[in-house]
Amino acid sequence: MKKTKPIPKLNMKTFFLFASLLLPAVSLLAQVSISGKVTDSKNNPLSGATILIKNSAIGTSSASDGTFVLTTNLKIGQHAILFSSVGYKTQEETITVSGSKAFTFNINLSEDISGLDEVVVTGTSLGTTRKQLGNYVTTVKGSSLANAATSNAIAALQGKIAGAQIIQNSGDPAGGMTVRLRGISTIGSSSEPLYIVDGVIINNSNARVTNTTDTYDAAGAVGQNRMIDINPNDIDRIEVLNGAAASAIYGSRANAGVVQIFTKRGSSGAPQVSFSTSIKSNSLRKRLVFNRAPTKFGGSPDVQTQDILTPALTNTTPVTRYDYQDDIFRTGIGTDNNVSVTGGREKFKYYASANFGYNEGIVKNTDNRRYGFRLNFDQSLNNWLTINGGINYVYNATNEKPDGNSFYSPLNVMTILGNFHDIRTRDANGNIKAVGERGRINPLSVIEDLKQKQSTSRTISNLGLKMNVTKGLNIDYMIGIDNTAQNGTTYYPPYTYNANTAFFGGGIGLDPTLNGYASSANYTGMFFNHDLNITYSTQLSNLLASTTQLGYSEQYEKTQYSLIHSRGLAPFVQTAVAGSTILPPSDVRAEQSIRGAFLQQNFKFNNQFFVTLAGRLDGSSVFAKENRNQFYPKVSASYVISDAKFFSESGIAKKVNNLKFRAAYGESGNLTGIGAYDRFNTYLSSSYLGRTSLGSFSTRANDNIVPERQKEFEIGTDLSMFNNRLLFTLNVYNKKVEDLIVPNLTIAPSTGFTSERKNVGTLTNKGFEILLTGVPVKNKNFSWDVTLNYNRNKNRIESVSAPLIQFTSITGASFGLIPGLDAPVFYTTYFARNDKGDYLLNAAGFPQTERGNAITNLPLRDANGQPSGAVLRKATGSPNPDYTATLTNSFNYKKFNLRVQLDRVKGNEVFNADFRTRQGVGNGSEFAEKEHMGLLPRGYISNIYAIEEWRVEDGSFTKLREVSLSYNFGKLNHAFSDLTLSFAGRNLVSWDDYRGYDPETNASGQSTLLRGIDFGNVPIPKTFQLGVTAKF
Amino acid sequence: MKKLPIIFILTAVAFIPSCKQDFINPNASTEAQVFSSPTGLTGVAVSLQRVYSVSRLSPVYNTITASGALTNEFRLLNTGNTDEAQLFTGGVTVDNLNSIVNSLWAQNNKIIYDADKVLAGANALGDKNYASGLIAYTSIFKALAIGALSNFYEQIPAGPGTTSTPATFQSRLDGYKRAIQVLNNAQAAVAANAISAAFLSNIPSGIDIPNTLNALKARFSLFAGDYAGALSAANAVSLTVKSEFRYESANLNPIFETVTGTNNVYQPLDSTLGLPVGLQPDPNDKRVPFYTAINPSVAPRFRVNSFFITPTAPIPVYLPGEMTLIKAEAYARQATPDLTNAKAELDKILTKTPAGDPFGVAAQLPAYSGAVTQATLLTEIYRNRCIELYMSGLKLEDMRRFGRPTTERKRNYLPYPFRERDNNSNTPPDPSF
Repeated sequence: MKKTKPIPKLNMKTFFLFASLLLPAVSLLAQVSISGKVTDSKNNPLSGATILIKNSAIGTSSASDGTFVLTTNLKIGQHAILFSSVGYKTQEETITVSGSKAFTFNINLSEDISGLDEVVVTGTSLGTTRKQLGNYVTTVKGSSLANAATSNAIAALQGKIAGAQIIQNSGDPAGGMTVRLRGISTIGSSSEPLYIVDGVIINNSNARVTNTTDTYDAAGAVGQNRMIDINPNDIDRIEVLNGAAASAIYGSRANAGVVQIFTKRGSSGAPQVSFSTSIKSNSLRKRLVFNRAPTKFGGSPDVQTQDILTPALTNTTPVTRYDYQDDIFRTGIGTDNNVSVTGGREKFKYYASANFGYNEGIVKNTDNRRYGFRLNFDQSLNNWLTINGGINYVYNATNEKPDGNSFYSPLNVMTILGNFHDIRTRDANGNIKAVGERGRINPLSVIEDLKQKQSTSRTISNLGLKMNVTKGLNIDYMIGIDNTAQNGTTYYPPYTYNANTAFFGGGIGLDPTLNGYASSANYTGMFFNHDLNITYSTQLSNLLASTTQLGYSEQYEKTQYSLIHSRGLAPFVQTAVAGSTILPPSDVRAEQSIRGAFLQQNFKFNNQFFVTLAGRLDGSSVFAKENRNQFYPKVSASYVISDAKFFSESGIAKKVNNLKFRAAYGESGNLTGIGAYDRFNTYLSSSYLGRTSLGSFSTRANDNIVPERQKEFEIGTDLSMFNNRLLFTLNVYNKKVEDLIVPNLTIAPSTGFTSERKNVGTLTNKGFEILLTGVPVKNKNFSWDVTLNYNRNKNRIESVSAPLIQFTSITGASFGLIPGLDAPVFYTTYFARNDKGDYLLNAAGFPQTERGNAITNLPLRDANGQPSGAVLRKATGSPNPDYTATLTNSFNYKKFNLRVQLDRVKGNEVFNADFRTRQGVGNGSEFAEKEHMGLLPRGYISNIYAIEEWRVEDGSFTKLREVSLSYNFGKLNHAFSDLTLSFAGRNLVSWDDYRGYDPETNASGQSTLLRGIDFGNVPIPKTFQLGVTAKF
Repeated sequence: MKKLPIIFILTAVAFIPSCKQDFINPNASTEAQVFSSPTGLTGVAVSLQRVYSVSRLSPVYNTITASGALTNEFRLLNTGNTDEAQLFTGGVTVDNLNSIVNSLWAQNNKIIYDADKVLAGANALGDKNYASGLIAYTSIFKALAIGALSNFYEQIPAGPGTTSTPATFQSRLDGYKRAIQVLNNAQAAVAANAISAAFLSNIPSGIDIPNTLNALKARFSLFAGDYAGALSAANAVSLTVKSEFRYESANLNPIFETVTGTNNVYQPLDSTLGLPVGLQPDPNDKRVPFYTAINPSVAPRFRVNSFFITPTAPIPVYLPGEMTLIKAEAYARQATPDLTNAKAELDKILTKTPAGDPFGVAAQLPAYSGAVTQATLLTEIYRNRCIELYMSGLKLEDMRRFGRPTTERKRNYLPYPFRERDNNSNTPPDPSF
């Protein structure tokens, strides 16, 4: 294929040769030694503080006792030395080098509560202070993840990021997480942020190496997402950018925001060993109450398991009712162990760590174990060049059960049974017995016999160079690879009883060609990226400074997914080739690449007013040549008014320590908005009766598709008052996605296709974020910090080319995109109501579905005032919340710390499929029990069963998300240089009115559109954790 | 040492392959590739059989289910199957989003669309013997798809439309005539150039192309009121040859997969096969046990049998008995009714023994002994169609043609899917019943 050169490509070889000519003459040097100690305002030693010669790559960091030594050759003349540490104000000292000399500094860094001097790396290659940013960037310190009582780094971020809704979709020990920064930014592709670890763009895929059966669980993005491989203990800090205005440097991959993770790095000095261990217990937070009625309708459970939905059955049979939750759930134990060593000399520093985590799920026989190793190093080659690198190996293995969205999930096999079967009785051979006459799966088969496992081996490696070519000119280059190999197996042994063939049983005759299922699936993903940035900073005049940045990046991804599976298994053999019936295998491969270049110009006026202009050209291989390369501009400004002379001299300055206003506008494109080959109409080959069938897809592809374009405008302010005792941040944004790609725009089936993938319409997210931090009490022994994080987002479909675009999921949840409403809404049939809003009952006295004119969608009434016409549907809710809020109180008394975090999600709806199933099969206590007891008329459930609105309910909740109590012993004898004991809890209480386990769930996993579905998902456990952290 | 970093950088840069931007899709063939080669065309033709006959979305599942539900052939076992449940209730309950209504519409339209592309590609092939096979085989599914639409919808698309020029509609009778035209073209192609063995080896076994072309022509001619055409086409069909959709473990019989295997959707109503008093099967009619199995212990007592009893049981494309009954009906209905021949054909059905039918459908009853008038013979023919062709998806059409009272069925025609109406302003109003 002909190669195109759409972007003027930087010839890097020429560039570096050229750059080498600019290298400074190495002369007039003197060896200096700079040493001392860095402490905080209370004179506690600060470890890991950075000591850097300004405008050079020379630097070191402080050891655990705060001391540092830096020996280097410096040019004769003046040099500035920067002392910095995350969360502290940077301090600058000047030395004058005239000959070999030793300097000593005892630096006392003051805490930077306002964060304005905090260095933020995200968005620039060298870092900038928060003061200069035109947009908001959240920084989370690694230490605040430690007491979150979870080994999932993303779960630990819940409630800690402005503008983010972080949802745990499944309570499995390796359950998937969704992060939404300022709502969803797309419809048809992933709306997860871009994850970058030490510069490497990492893979956060949901490869379906398990849950491979195609009969029931095809929708959504269920299962693990690969962020679970990242060990929170290795994290130094996390920076989160919410949107397009912020993301010019990451280009279009950052359409849904960026989460940039920096892992811990070495510091010079004596090696320091850190060790932490914790033990966890996971248990079911809320037990459901099941039907307790003493009778069922119809005859014996063995011949008539389905009774409620057959209203003709009115005779009753006494039954024993069971609660199967004890057969499914247990209390799981977990442990997390980390050991790390940091050390080095002034030119070479390292951080090495090993970790092992084991966590049992609350569903019996499920667990997750993770082994990880990391080595980070920094090497100065000379005084203008440093090399840094890192390598991280992870092995992550899970014993799981089928996820929600499948009829074999442990919860679904329980939910779908009338609870009058004794599932524990065994036949003469000790085999699990059939349940009822319908070939339903006995839950114990899933718990005891069904094996579903997966494991991932993964290496993330990076290597970078930083060159301080000459004063003001810096070049840095990094290259990274994330290589993932994931494999999964499932084994449903042949059932010894009549199990439905649709559930991979053998039916009544135990057909050996159908009974049992085995699969083996593999996913490999190679993500490569390299970035070159050239930054030139100069002082144009006394007041005006300029920074110019030129960057180029390339990303390449190659993935392959293969699956073999079969049914009708030979006895005892568990492999996928054991089946007598080979099911259609899969072998799906994809390659894609993105490349882009940007130019960014920043002006700094009097260190008070900052303006940044940037432009970026990006091209993605997934789009046709004509549409591939797109230009995205960005502009931002910030004004630190509190630094202005008139302000600092006014009376306000006594109360107001800092006041900053900022504004940013940026555009970006969703360059991964469609799959690698989605723009082509293709025919898929499959084997059929020994011949080749080439089947056409139901969706028509479209070669003219262009990347979705996001335009975001953000304004904000940062205010700190009363000696930084009160901090206030407000961000207001308007994020607009144009050329929205709808993957299934319905078209008339008479065209040969039922849907089309097309750019139609516009989506907006408008909202604001408030971050309020107060320190009501602060004295020598006691301090109290309160933080409120309030995020309001209004997501709306502004236009699509049709009045309604529908999406269905296998759970029966029907979603719609309707102009003027949320993306998406639950679009369902609904109850007919009278003028007062009460149910309009039919002649038999039952609630009924609304009917009316199918064209106008308006209800109609017949002569008797009863609904007439076609069944109508309307928007009955949305999975998008009105707001999310987090209130954190932190109390420090001497060496005790108590932290309490409450998370609130308000105004979202959940499609509770399980609730309805429980009533329909008769195990529900809410309605079925009442119908069995005669408290509801016979036939009530059957009458309203099909009304989908019955399944839509309020998903608002307030959760006691995190509680932790810790005691820091500090230095203890000679054994420990630091010792902390902690006790923490997670998801301990939820205040909600939800008719299920937990409204925070999604059976469709990390799907962008199919959200808020409760269908057989494992609920999020409550976790207690006892931990010790020690430094030696 | 000083040069080390530069060497390092140059090496790194040289090692990195410049990322390509044009990648070939290794997973699937493009439209252009598929329709320009005989193997590609054949692959698409084979997919038509797959789309028509495999899975719960297939016209085979949905014609049998929709017709059976609307005409009282079955009893619903679980109202949780909401789409099926709507059809069992019928009337206005059947909504425009019903998945059976939508699948019937979408899958048949899809078959017609892809069949047209195969037919166009086949006409351009140099090997005319291979092309005639392609045309004949593809035409079977195109005709079946048009026929299925005409069976369930009052009006049908006159041909595939586009998003800018939506399809126009024709009456269902014109639809049957169009299906007959498709079959005539196929027979002409076969007559001009015999089907090559090379083609036959590339398609699944089971379907007898020449007999199926005639059988479908007989069926649709009868439905379109062309009795002479129906008679001559039915006479051309060999009554000893089977033509059937076959299944394998990876592609299961769709009725078995969803209905027989689960016992959770529907089962035969009972031994009356849903016929009203007066038309109910004779207690000695051996076709009743052929089509219904008895489960003496677990309800329901009457279970699906015959062509749906095992996961890979073949389903006939048409039954030889249908041809005999077409002849009987055509004789009885033609402009000058020939009641003698009509009765003779009817008697062949009533007295048939398992040996006399390749599929073993056999009433084994005495010959017809009632009054020989056009009306009485037609009633008896209707009764025998309902029994002989039980679960074939044709009963709804038969009920309308024989003028059965509407109380015996739940709807005459299905409503048009919203997907069509919302995107095609030519869509006719929904029939009221």
